[in-house]
Amino acid sequence: MALFECRLKKYRQLKELTQEQLAAQVGVRRETIMRLEKAQYNPSLKLAIDISRAVEAPIEELFIFD
Amino acid sequence: MKKNSVRVWVGCGIFCIAAVLLSVWYAVTFNDSRLVVLMDFESYAFTPRDLPMIVSILLACVYVLALFIRLFISIGKKQRDPAASNTTRRLNPKLGLLGLLGFLGFAGFWTYSITGDVSPFVFLLFFGFFGFFYEGKMSGTFMDERFRENAVRAQLTSYKITFKITLIVLIILCRGKLFGSMEYTLMAVIIVLSLTLALGIFLQEYLLYRYDHDDHMEEGEA
Repeated sequence: MALFECRLKKYRQLKELTQEQLAAQVGVRRETIMRLEKAQYNPSLKLAIDISRAVEAPIEELFIFD
Repeated sequence: MKKNSVRVWVGCGIFCIAAVLLSVWYAVTFNDSRLVVLMDFESYAFTPRDLPMIVSILLACVYVLALFIRLFISIGKKQRDPAASNTTRRLNPKLGLLGLLGFLGFAGFWTYSITGDVSPFVFLLFFGFFGFFYEGKMSGTFMDERFRENAVRAQLTSYKITFKITLIVLIILCRGKLFGSMEYTLMAVIIVLSLTLALGIFLQEYLLYRYDHDDHMEEGEA
């Protein structure tokens, strides 16, 4: 069950990046990006920051915890 | 290791084995099997005919030592190489067939009835090699943080299962003698420990594969 809401997909599509491209940029596998977008994986702080830099969106906009 | 250097190492190995075999043949044929069969080294006196055996054994020892040093160096080099340390090792899933060697462990029942030796039961550990099948399926996989987390999760789960089984079986066995014999009880302990350790080795790879594979099952490009 998702513990947080993830808006990564929206911001990734805004940047016109594929999951593969984003994964390569932040140094993870495509499957990890996929799990992140479904909010099924809780990323490390470093990965979260890397992703927010890659999609140029604030981290608190990408991952919303209740 | 480069192909040429592998050839050199294999060639040296074959040479060492051939040297040992030849010197054994020489000792058995011309030297009353000295240094081949067990002998009393307290009263040992050197004769020139012992030289082939001594030289070939020394050669073999030097080769094995050099091989170990070479292996340690190459492992160290691999660990320092970031590209190599970020992917899982390359392995053929067919190596999982080595798990069949575990059946050698059942030879323990035979050796026990003939000589009373129970050490072959330890070969049951080889059942753990079945894990190579799943490790091979994931060979060359990029190890990102989620993969590493899954690896730790798989390791912890397998340890938990292994310790639980070991504890339960030991408690049951320690309650009394198996078939009224302490020997049978200790044999059962060796068998159970070997099997649970093999299970632990196998489970680490299997669970990691399942965690990773289950993730893939749900996925599709968005």
